[in-house]
Amino acid sequence: MKPLKIGITGVRGIVGETFTPELAVEFAEAFGTYLDRGRILVCRDTRPSGPMIRSAVLAGLLGAGCEVIDLGICPTPSMQLAVKWLKADGGIAITAGHNPGQWNALKFVRGDGLYLNPTQGEELLDIFHQAEFAKATWDTIKQVVQIVDPIEEHVKVLRESFAVEAIRSKRLTVAVDCCNGACSFLSPKWLATLGCEVLTVNDDPNAPFPHTPEPKRETMAQLCAVVKAGRAAIGFAHDADGERLGIVTDLGEPLSEEMTLAIAADIRLRRKTGTVVTNVSTSNAVEMIAARHAGSVMRTPVGQTYISEGLIEHNGVLGGEGSGGVTVPEVHLTHDSAAAIGLILEHLAQTGERISELVNQLPRLTILKHNVAVEPHRLYSVLQEFRATMEQEGIEVDSTDGIKATLPEGWVHVRASNTESLIRIIVEAEEQAAARELLDWARDRIRR
Amino acid sequence: MRAIPTLKISISGVRGVVGQSLTPKLLTRFAQAFGTHTGSGTIVLGRDPRTSGQMVKHAVVAGLLSTGTRVVDIGMCPVPTVQLQVRHRRAQGGIAITASHNPAEWNALKFIGSSGLFLDTGQARELLDIYHQGEYTKVAGAEIRTVEEIEGATDLHIKQILDALGPLPKTPKKLRVVLDSCNGAGSIVGPKLIEALGAEVIPLNVTPDGSFPRPAEPLPENLGDLCRMVKEHHADVGFAQDMDADRLAIVSERGEPIGEDYTLVLATLYVLGREKGPVVANLSTISALADVANKFGCPVFLTKIGEVNVTDAMQQHNAVVGGEGNGGVIYPRINFARDSLVGIALVLHLLAESQRTVSELLDTIPRYTIVKEKMACPSHRIPGVLKKIRQDFAKFPLDTRDGVKVMQSDGWLLVRGSNTEPIIRIVAEAKTEDRAREMVNSVLPI
Repeated sequence: MKPLKIGITGVRGIVGETFTPELAVEFAEAFGTYLDRGRILVCRDTRPSGPMIRSAVLAGLLGAGCEVIDLGICPTPSMQLAVKWLKADGGIAITAGHNPGQWNALKFVRGDGLYLNPTQGEELLDIFHQAEFAKATWDTIKQVVQIVDPIEEHVKVLRESFAVEAIRSKRLTVAVDCCNGACSFLSPKWLATLGCEVLTVNDDPNAPFPHTPEPKRETMAQLCAVVKAGRAAIGFAHDADGERLGIVTDLGEPLSEEMTLAIAADIRLRRKTGTVVTNVSTSNAVEMIAARHAGSVMRTPVGQTYISEGLIEHNGVLGGEGSGGVTVPEVHLTHDSAAAIGLILEHLAQTGERISELVNQLPRLTILKHNVAVEPHRLYSVLQEFRATMEQEGIEVDSTDGIKATLPEGWVHVRASNTESLIRIIVEAEEQAAARELLDWARDRIRR
Repeated sequence: MRAIPTLKISISGVRGVVGQSLTPKLLTRFAQAFGTHTGSGTIVLGRDPRTSGQMVKHAVVAGLLSTGTRVVDIGMCPVPTVQLQVRHRRAQGGIAITASHNPAEWNALKFIGSSGLFLDTGQARELLDIYHQGEYTKVAGAEIRTVEEIEGATDLHIKQILDALGPLPKTPKKLRVVLDSCNGAGSIVGPKLIEALGAEVIPLNVTPDGSFPRPAEPLPENLGDLCRMVKEHHADVGFAQDMDADRLAIVSERGEPIGEDYTLVLATLYVLGREKGPVVANLSTISALADVANKFGCPVFLTKIGEVNVTDAMQQHNAVVGGEGNGGVIYPRINFARDSLVGIALVLHLLAESQRTVSELLDTIPRYTIVKEKMACPSHRIPGVLKKIRQDFAKFPLDTRDGVKVMQSDGWLLVRGSNTEPIIRIVAEAKTEDRAREMVNSVLPI
């Protein structure tokens, strides 16, 4: 199976196999053409292939006649904020987010700092496939500018969005695992600004990822140890580019990535009730929490762009996904783990509540996730066949994104990954045993 | 008529017009091919100040890194500096990003082997095969190496020149030099070198910003400002470089261009005065070179056109000096490369040690006039043109190693297809300009 996925969310693949410099050059040329030249920001995470892909992207953008501002290594949300204050026409983030180190990807951001929506993503793909790109001539070609620090501006925007003085006064001890990713530059600085005593691990952007940059229980063992040893009030785990956040409680318990949005929703709705926007694959705990605070939940397809659009459409108070991505609309309408940290620490500081106490009051459901590798050309047929099976068995399905079936004992969601050639099965039930049964039930009905 | 292409992929490298044929993807692929060819070693990268230089550089860096190559970026510098650094660092190769004397809209990649010489025909063919086959070495992310950015590469260049030739001897009056670098790569090193040698420098066009204050080729008609400055400042000599500082033209103390063919002649006059040995040049070189060599009893070998042919023959014959009639001087004690900086140093030494002016030195050398013309010609028509020349001049001795060279009793005529542009070049040499022009006209219009 070829590890390459070109879709409306960008292009993603394994460097040294499918993700070649020509591919990055041509995508950058297509994006420069799509934006009709203009000013484009470029940032990257800390993967060792980053400099190679960066050069390819700069060449493609310059070739298309763009003015390029290279932000170097920074979290994707820092770049998304910079698009706005530098009045850029768009941006390219060179990062494969939570994927392992051998992967890389390009993510495309438009002039308002949000990801291209699906229609725009398709327009970009059409230009890429047509391969007739804008070309700068010797007298119109621009140069790369490299003088901007997006981190400082990001911290400034974060400061304006949260009760910084209240947090500072508590001098919280906070552990953070930057996974040697882009947050190595942002997170310790932001926590120091909040007056925290910061226990940092894995903040060397030149070192390889110490574990998969996906904040899950399995990857947070080191962070748990630091929280316990340092008696920290909370521990935070980052992905490679500052979108997803994982949490370890003051008791040293690593939480499921699904809990990040649940915690943020509980905190947010206690203060300000309203609509939480999340995807169809995220835990029902969000509905239960919303119900407690007279809020509501709006479900979208999986993907940040849908969360952003849902927040705009429904004037939502919080967005997020079960993968650990949280959007705090006051900061910006995109996942930002530093914003999620601000929201949570503000609550801890202002209420004096411990994170473990807060978590104890939340519904604890069991969610299980399972991936089935499928040949790329079979991906959508497999889904169709699953849908047909559901219909034969008389089970009603929601097809916002893939197929979601709600059964008495819980729900099952089966969808094609946006970024890899995988079918994802997500099931949720109250008890572990029921969840296992649901997963087996779904797996039996998927024929590769 | 079929459009004349703006892309030239040949054994001299790849050259094209930015915004038309020279796309970032093409450049990346060529860099991948070169990284594959050199076996993922260390590659030195330098560029001239063209506006497209940064785009081209990033495309090349991406391609090289993807093959596991370690890149040493020495920034903006003359082509011979890249060649010197390849040898100095024992790198596996180098890429010079420059379209030398071509106008501003052009750019190009020139490929340098581990010896610091341009790829020879065989190596260049291998590279082209790899490029066309499209199967390049690919390394995983974790094996991608870094780009090392080096400053001061040109300082080493100056040091090597001084080590080989020493500073100028004391003269009653310091030599006064006007240097026109055409805002090219020579801007950042030429003035420094002249001062280091111990002469006074009056710089002209030394802002390397990609603008072309004059056409880049240092031809007499492009050197009006330089001639004026030489007269105005009562300078002893004027020097003109091209964009990548491999070629050198000279203006005499009277403010007259001496013709770029005489650059190599003066350099040879100095070198042979220091040490005798064979001289190598291409077959389009002025006969005065042979006259000078004969005076010292040294042989001259003429080769096909192209720097690599000259350097090959220089190694084969163990030459002490060589070069090309277009102002390219090669002095192997410093660098097996056409090097305007070396040319400047040799000529300044000649002036200082002989205590004579440029005009006085030229008076000791037989004068010839070379007339050069070029005509646009799609490449598929070139062989036909050459065949016709061979037939028309069948009664004269012909040298057909590179196009057709017709040896006449009072001079010679050369007709050949360019390696770098879709044009035919016509060159004629005679004792007088009228006669040389007459020979050119005898084949025009083709």
